Amino acid sequence: MPDRAPPTDQEARLQELLDRCAARDAGALQPLYELAAPLLFGCLTRILRRRALAEEALQDVFVTIWQRAAQFSAARGKPMTWMISIARYRAIDLLRHERSAPVLVGELPEQSSEDEPSHELGAWWSGSALLERCLALLTDRQRNCLELAFVGGNSHEDIARLTGNPLGTVKSWIRRALQSLRQCLEE
Amino acid sequence: MTPRDKRLVDPLAAEYVLGTLRGPARRRFERWRASSALVAQRCEFWEEQLISLAREVRPIQPPPHLWQGIRQRLNLPQPRWRPAYALAIAASVLIVIGLSLVLYWRSIQPGPPSELATIAAPSGAAAWQVEVYSQRGQMIVRAGQLPARPANRDFELWALPQGGKPVSLGVLPVTGTVQHGLTGTQQEALAHATQIAVTVEPSGGSPTGQPSGTPVFIAPLRAIS
Repeated sequence: MPDRAPPTDQEARLQELLDRCAARDAGALQPLYELAAPLLFGCLTRILRRRALAEEALQDVFVTIWQRAAQFSAARGKPMTWMISIARYRAIDLLRHERSAPVLVGELPEQSSEDEPSHELGAWWSGSALLERCLALLTDRQRNCLELAFVGGNSHEDIARLTGNPLGTVKSWIRRALQSLRQCLEE
Repeated sequence: MTPRDKRLVDPLAAEYVLGTLRGPARRRFERWRASSALVAQRCEFWEEQLISLAREVRPIQPPPHLWQGIRQRLNLPQPRWRPAYALAIAASVLIVIGLSLVLYWRSIQPGPPSELATIAAPSGAAAWQVEVYSQRGQMIVRAGQLPARPANRDFELWALPQGGKPVSLGVLPVTGTVQHGLTGTQQEALAHATQIAVTVEPSGGSPTGQPSGTPVFIAPLRAIS
C-alpha cells in the first residue's frame, strides 16, 4: 500500500526472529513466542472463549508459524498481521466444531491487569492512517458489526442474535461496510 | 488482474478475512487462495487493513506449560547454554566456592596468634609451641619433642602475670595439638604476663590450683602485634 508506514522496532525484531525461524534456527522460536504469544492468546481467547480451547489453538498457531516461516519471510508482509491472521483462522476453524458447546463464564480467563506493559496491537503495528480515516466514515452500527466479526469471531447469525437485528440486515450492513472501506482505501 | 476479476474476488476475500465467510464456502475459498496469486494478494490486502479492528484486544499471558508443549510437538532441541551464559555461571560458581572456602578456612584457621611462646628443652628442641588468640579467647598448644616425665605425672602450663599469682592454663598435651578456650581469669593473666611456665603435677593437674613445685621450664611470652 502506498501509505505503508516504516516498520516499528517491534516489527523489525519480529521480522528478524521470523527470518531466523525460516532458516530453521530453533533458538529463534522461543523469543518469538515470548514476544507474540500474549497478544495471540488474547485474540484466541476472545474468539474461542474457553481457555482450554484457546491453549490448544495457541500451540497449533506456533506450530504453523514455525512451519510456514519461510513462506512469510520471502513474502515480506507485516509480521504481527501475519501471525494474528494465522491465529484468527485457526480459531474460526475450531469454532466450526466447538461453537455449539456451552460457554461457562467461570472458564473465561482473566484479562491481564491494566498496569501490565502494553503489548497491545498498537505497540506492534506501524498502522495505516488511511484505514483509520476510512473506518471513521462507517456508521457506528457498521463498525460494531465488523468488530463483532473480526475480533469476536462471530458469524452473521451470531451478530444478528447479539444485536437483535434480522440476519439479512446484518449481512447487508457488513457487505456495504466492506464495500465502502474498499472504495475509500483505493481512492 | 483485471478490474472485473478484482470485483469478483474482493467481496469474498473481505468476508473471508473478516471471518463471516463460513462453512463449505470458507473451505472452498481457502483452496482458491492457495492456488491463486490474485486471491492470495486480495486476502493479504484485507488482512493488513482489517487488523486495525483488533487494536483493542488485550494481551493475555498464556500458562507456562504451553511453550513446552510446542517445543515437544516440533521436536525442538532443549535450549543449550550459550557460551557467555555458561561462562558467567561457571564464574559465579567459582566465586561462591572460593568465598565459601575462604570463610571456611578462616573459621578453622585462627589467623595470626596475638601471643606466642616456645617452650624449649635445654637441647634447644621445641617441646611445646603455645599460641594465644586473645581476641577469640583461645589457645593452641602443639606438642613437640617432650622431655622425659615421671610416671603418673602431667606437665601443667601456667601464665605468670606480673605482680600476681600463676594462673593455670591447663595440662599440656603429650602429643599432637590441642585447642581450647580461655576463661576470663586466664585471659586476664595472659594479658599481664610476659612469661609462661611449666610444672610437673599429679596426673590431671595441680589439685590446689597453684603450682606444686618449681617450674621445669620458663619461657617468654612474646606479643605479636
